[in-house]
Amino acid sequence: MADILGSFEQAVLLAIVRLDDGAYGRAILKEVAERLERDVAAGAVQATLERLERKGLVRSRLGSGTPIRDGRARRFYAVLPEGVRALNDARKTHESVWRGFARPLKSRG
Amino acid sequence: MANPPEVAQLILHALLPADARESVAGDLLEEYRDSRVPAAGELRADLWYWRQVGGMWLRAYWWLAVPVLLLLVVSDVFNTFRAPSGASYLDGLPKLVLAVISPLGVVGLLALTTAYGSWRTQRWQGGLVAAVGISVLAWLFAVAWWGATVYPFAQVQQVNPYWVHAWQWSTHRAAQHSDETFLHWIFWDNVGALIIGGIVLFGASFVCGGIGAILAGISSQRRHAGQKSSRGGTQTGRRT
Repeated sequence: MADILGSFEQAVLLAIVRLDDGAYGRAILKEVAERLERDVAAGAVQATLERLERKGLVRSRLGSGTPIRDGRARRFYAVLPEGVRALNDARKTHESVWRGFARPLKSRG
Repeated sequence: MANPPEVAQLILHALLPADARESVAGDLLEEYRDSRVPAAGELRADLWYWRQVGGMWLRAYWWLAVPVLLLLVVSDVFNTFRAPSGASYLDGLPKLVLAVISPLGVVGLLALTTAYGSWRTQRWQGGLVAAVGISVLAWLFAVAWWGATVYPFAQVQQVNPYWVHAWQWSTHRAAQHSDETFLHWIFWDNVGALIIGGIVLFGASFVCGGIGAILAGISSQRRHAGQKSSRGGTQTGRRT
């Protein structure tokens, strides 16, 4: 099994899966912020995308710009089979760690 | 349409590697115009933009900033706490180690930062932004460090003969019968050190940035020349 993905990496990968053909930097940023219910730094998402690409879990291609971005190109991301495998592994590990516990966990004190 | 602060945009462009420059700058611009300005107004949106740029700088160069900050702390601690004779407790260390933990070490780290910044972004502005950023961070840290330590350190300094002598020499030089207290003197001595230190730090970062700029320019020209000649070679090969 490869390295287990961190929770932020999982959030970014799942955002790409959800957005499908519309998965470019800003859309991923919004999706991740919405799911995590907090403000997310653009640099954090960018650094994670670069790391996932280096690990071979996603690939990217440049697409056209829009007037609101002054025509600047958008970089679109897609999850590779290795990325899907890593997500499934992460979920399996998560479920295995939680197995046997009632949710939500109650404190003993 | 609203625009983010010009300087922040310039810094962002200098900060990003070539392959991410267009797309990341576009993402931030889109978020700024489409979400931040309508939701919070231009001033808050500008602050948000600056925070993103600052965050990207920190992510790229924090590991080079940490040793600079550590060097500042080490040199300040060992400059303050001295033997009664005035000798530094570091004097017994090998000369190479002393050079590394001296201001020369900071200049060396600035040069390294510039070289790395220029290499990472493939443009000389990247090195300059990296080095000047380290200077800004180091100076702000020095101000905070000094604010937190000036009084407790002075309690120890004022019973050390070396510092007492320095105080008496300095105040007597200024006025024959000066009644300036030790705490007042050390406070203003530190303010002077912060101002001069800041000027030296910014000067060094600009010099290092300039050297990095020249080196990045030469390496970029060589890279382009290499690419041209290899393309020429490939075309010749295809013809034959």
